[in-house]
Amino acid sequence: MTAILEVKSASRAFQSLMAVENVSLSVQAGELLGLIGPNGAGKSTLFNLIAGVLRPTAGEIVFDKQNVTGWKPYDMARVGLARTFQIPKPYRQLSVIENVMLNAFLRDHSLAGARRLAEAALNDVGLTDYVNTPVSALTVGLLKRLEVARALAMKPKLVLFDEIMAGLTPTEVGVMTKFVAGLPARGITVVWVEHVLYAIMRTATRIVVLNRGKIIAEGAPGAIARDPVVVKAYFGEEMTLA
Amino acid sequence: MTPRQKTAHTVQFPFLPERGKVSIFEIALLLICIALLAAPISQSLRDVVVLTFLFAGLGLAWNIAGGYAGLISFGHAAFFSIGAYTSTILLVSVGLSPWIGLWVGAVLSAICGAVLALVCARLRGPFFILSTLAFAEVVRIGALNWASLTGGPEGLSILPTPGLYQMVFASKNAYAALMLGYLLFAYAVTKALEASRYGYYLFAIRDDEDAASASGVNPLLARTAAMTLSASLTGIGGSLFAQYFLYLDPTFMASPELSFQFALLAAIGGLGTSIGPVLGSFLLTPLSELLRSYLGNAVAGLHLIIYSTGLILMMLYFPGGIAAALKTLSSRGRKR
Repeated sequence: MTAILEVKSASRAFQSLMAVENVSLSVQAGELLGLIGPNGAGKSTLFNLIAGVLRPTAGEIVFDKQNVTGWKPYDMARVGLARTFQIPKPYRQLSVIENVMLNAFLRDHSLAGARRLAEAALNDVGLTDYVNTPVSALTVGLLKRLEVARALAMKPKLVLFDEIMAGLTPTEVGVMTKFVAGLPARGITVVWVEHVLYAIMRTATRIVVLNRGKIIAEGAPGAIARDPVVVKAYFGEEMTLA
Repeated sequence: MTPRQKTAHTVQFPFLPERGKVSIFEIALLLICIALLAAPISQSLRDVVVLTFLFAGLGLAWNIAGGYAGLISFGHAAFFSIGAYTSTILLVSVGLSPWIGLWVGAVLSAICGAVLALVCARLRGPFFILSTLAFAEVVRIGALNWASLTGGPEGLSILPTPGLYQMVFASKNAYAALMLGYLLFAYAVTKALEASRYGYYLFAIRDDEDAASASGVNPLLARTAAMTLSASLTGIGGSLFAQYFLYLDPTFMASPELSFQFALLAAIGGLGTSIGPVLGSFLLTPLSELLRSYLGNAVAGLHLIIYSTGLILMMLYFPGGIAAALKTLSSRGRKR
């Protein structure tokens, strides 16, 4: 296995606040890495550093053997990094399929070709019935699936999922978990931030725990759940997890 | 099975304009335009028709930047001037036909548009608008002071000898046909843009710039391309205007009033819709011309007061423009 993404002692400060401090992280191709941590731990900032939305104040980001530090989001998209947004950001003037086609254009410039890619991606996430629906008619659960379809339509090498389970019903969580778990087999590496812990604990091959901008633990899901440092970060004091 | 096929067929040929399709409404409007060309109307009304067509084209050109790309520009009169002056100077001094000169003007306008957008499209909202106003001022002051090239404050005249080569015509009918050609060209460009990949990019950027960026779209480049296209089309309109009036007045050509007029046509008609600027010009250009000719001499300024009151009422009651109002009306009718 080779590393597809390497974060090398990256830091990001907002004035005096260190949102991400000296974080080093290596993601292997084919991995399903879970990124967890309490609110304000720096997960979103780390995501934005990788996706090119923010520039690290120190450190480097290497993606697919290229130094991509300071690259813009559209550059990252071009080289194969897809992302979803925690709060879905659909294009409200466009229909569901057009939303997905926009990302598919990156891999196929023709309208017909992009439509085919988009249809496949919508089929993947079970949105086939909503192809021509205006996005304003979608529920939160469907919007989250639309976010995932958009990311997949880019045929990414790595996808960053930002809380795709929030707002879903337990049934939807089950379907989505199964779906995400199947992505590495299709050659898509996954880095996944999630608050719905039972979903991520069941699927991830490895978990990284962030707290106050630093990595405090790293390892297999089972070990992480028992790690006293992690438990303390989440609950503030020791307690036993049932 | 059969009724479903039937609905699928009507979707192919909708009543109101839709992205990527030709509608009954558009065909009807085109027939009206052609009828206006042939109708036996007075010279002064013919003049209104010519201006309506020309300004519809200019509104469409503005709309590509202001409506589709969200680059609200109050400096488009600068591109209009660059087009007009380029073709006119080439005709007057070198004897080059405006049929070629207008394309040279279009290219020069396009370059200016590209540079303006690359430098200023990073600015947001009011700051971008101010930069376009400043740009138009620079062009206006340049036209006033570079007398050896532009004739300075005295302006430039084109000899009124009719001829196809000089693009000077004796009949206003020919001009009306020429302007209709321009309108159709600008409309075709807009429709093609809407249905293209690039049009999707513009929709996406206007909706959510962060998401568009994550989709692999470079917002600055996409906006710059829209501005370039918009500027070149505006430049062509400027050349045609020069050929119709045969005189360029630098204080009018690059004036803020003219820039506002372009923006107004698109805004009243419906920003970011293909039919909007056309409807805007069909309503406003005759209104302003007729008000001026009937009331202009009676009470000074009265026509402007009536015109502006009408605009304010439009903005208050139809903020989405005529195009949006039509859409609401037709969907209400369908529900009943």
